[in-house]
Amino acid sequence: MKIALAGNPNSGKTTLFNAITGKTEYVGNWPGVTVEKKEANLNRKFEKIFSKGRVVDLPGAYSIAPFTGEEAITRDFVLGESPDVIINIVDANSLERSLFFTTQLLELGIPVVIALNKQDIVRRHGNKTDIEGLAKTLKCKIVETIANDGEGLKELIKVAANLAESNNSQKAPEFNNKGTENENKARQQFVKDVVDKHFIKKRDTSKVTTSDKADRIVANAFWGLPIFAIIMWAVYAFSIQGLGGFLSEYFNEVIFGEIVPDAANGFLEAVGVHPLLQALIVDGAIGGVGAVIGFLPLIMVLFFCLGLLEDSGYMARVAVVMDRYFKKIGLSGKSIIPMIVGSGCSIPGVMATRTIEDENEKRMTTILTPFVPCGAKLPIIALFAAVFFPASTWVAPSMYILAFIMIAIGGLILKKIFVWENTSSFIIELPEYKIPSLKHALTQMIKQAKAFIIKASTIILVMNTLVWIMQTYSWSFQVVEDSGLSILASIGGFIAPLLIPLGFVGWQLAAATITGFIAKENVVATFAIILIASSEEALHMPGGVLTQLFTPVTAYAFLVFNLFTPPCFAAIGAMNAEMSNRKWLGKAILFQLSVGYIMAMIITQIGTIVVYGELSIGFVPAIFVSILYIVLITVLIKRANRKKAQMRKVAQ
Amino acid sequence: MQLFKAKAGYTSQIKTVSGNDKIRNFLFSLGCSEGEDITLISILAGNYIINIKDSRYAIDKKMAKAIEVI
Repeated sequence: MKIALAGNPNSGKTTLFNAITGKTEYVGNWPGVTVEKKEANLNRKFEKIFSKGRVVDLPGAYSIAPFTGEEAITRDFVLGESPDVIINIVDANSLERSLFFTTQLLELGIPVVIALNKQDIVRRHGNKTDIEGLAKTLKCKIVETIANDGEGLKELIKVAANLAESNNSQKAPEFNNKGTENENKARQQFVKDVVDKHFIKKRDTSKVTTSDKADRIVANAFWGLPIFAIIMWAVYAFSIQGLGGFLSEYFNEVIFGEIVPDAANGFLEAVGVHPLLQALIVDGAIGGVGAVIGFLPLIMVLFFCLGLLEDSGYMARVAVVMDRYFKKIGLSGKSIIPMIVGSGCSIPGVMATRTIEDENEKRMTTILTPFVPCGAKLPIIALFAAVFFPASTWVAPSMYILAFIMIAIGGLILKKIFVWENTSSFIIELPEYKIPSLKHALTQMIKQAKAFIIKASTIILVMNTLVWIMQTYSWSFQVVEDSGLSILASIGGFIAPLLIPLGFVGWQLAAATITGFIAKENVVATFAIILIASSEEALHMPGGVLTQLFTPVTAYAFLVFNLFTPPCFAAIGAMNAEMSNRKWLGKAILFQLSVGYIMAMIITQIGTIVVYGELSIGFVPAIFVSILYIVLITVLIKRANRKKAQMRKVAQ
Repeated sequence: MQLFKAKAGYTSQIKTVSGNDKIRNFLFSLGCSEGEDITLISILAGNYIINIKDSRYAIDKKMAKAIEVI
């Protein structure tokens, strides 16, 4: 039996979905959090009422006729896969707007039960709904719910079960002019009459509320941007340098620096394992994965903070603040939401671009969102900041600032290179503010922590084992004394020349760069494995072994290189899904690689001259590469200008 | 007049909505269409915060120009 959840954006569908299935799908207090359909079995505690229930959560829609990509998913599912029963979640506080979609759902013939949600807010406002009368007029069952604390859910499932089993076709309310040209107008009038009759409104919503007053401050033309900057700075500072950084240091130094390897060594020696196997386990697996897991607290704190922020209702306001800036660089105000989500992980970030209606703005956001440092890049940033810049607190924040500067510049360049007309307009619903739920933030944090541990113990573990084997053996499968003769060194050495203009010398850096393309955490893990042979000291010590490979300037350049190049295979997959066009995916990846490459090159070459007063390695090749890029960009801009001129001619 | 020219606190009814079909249909599904009540709550950072059918929306200047109110 299939139960579909449908309703307006931000009416609480996913909260209800999580409550009746026991899942922890992503929820947030802004319209358009869910962008794909999600399926799960009904929670066991409902087994007696509704056996073998399969619940499908659908993206929010205002009408059966889609406006954005994710709304089309909802229509296609409801029309194409005919669920056994539809639970229509209606935010009781915007009844009139919601019932427009409801009346459309009622006409499909599939049994519908309305979950009249957010009753807590209705009660707080002193409004009243005549449930019986409303149900009679609409010819369907209605259950009052508060999805947040589970009220009414049992009753809702009971009604849904009865409807699904009865197999009766849903009756729709009748109104004049149905089936005519003016049907929608008539529908609107019908809904209005229904609401006038059955909803007793105590509170005039057109009056200025506390929420509006708060908006006047946080979305103020002058204060909006500084407030946003301060909030984000607080979130990242707390995660990277505050609590998260503190806990990570403990994890790195004590747990994965001493306790775990010592215990493993002791155990393996006692058992009498071959020393090479012991090295594989302790140096390869534990050393590599440990170097990554050590940063787990940092990521957990970050997701906890983001969870609070997402639940508060502030995200929609940031979109309002950013719209006028982002429009100038070819993005929409809504592009900020994928970017904030992307600061946790690029994959949901890229997927969140689906709520952007305009195809060009969406594409641009997909290309630029991965520039924001994601959770996987944090370990690299934290590690390099600790080793090379122990006394400076500006390094980590500078990554975020640089990311936003490059998003702006990148947007401007893309706008110059590619030809498109700007026809977009901006509209976003502003949900009411609420006190963020700690439970919600904790759930998100635990979910992300689990995902991180799974990733570390699967893909990263496998990669690390491979890296260890490749750096221990030569092509003839002999154990090598000097890792410079290993398989890894020869593969790294193959790529290494490409990195010389960036001042990155050595196969080790090339090897870390390659593994980093699979997942960015691998960069840290690979360094941990490569360098464990040359030093007993922990990897993240200030002035530690990494200084053999980098100067502070090239270290910073390396950070920047990793910041802008594509984050990981999975994120590229997500980009592919959103662009649904191989050519654009190719352009996006080339663009990201180029930005990472050029930025790192500029920092190394100019930085070395300024800081050390000498020319860096690879200065001459860098000049050539720069000239090449300047020519390329000029040609592309000229070509775009020609096309634009042509289009104007055609238009005239 | 265009909503664009109204001042914060202005309550009125929508006369017409112009623009392409896709956007007009979308606005219609929100209840932003001819004859509906609309209140301009505030103007923030170049955006217009409006109240339609008990919900708040932020729209940009371009949309505010496309909405004609009585």
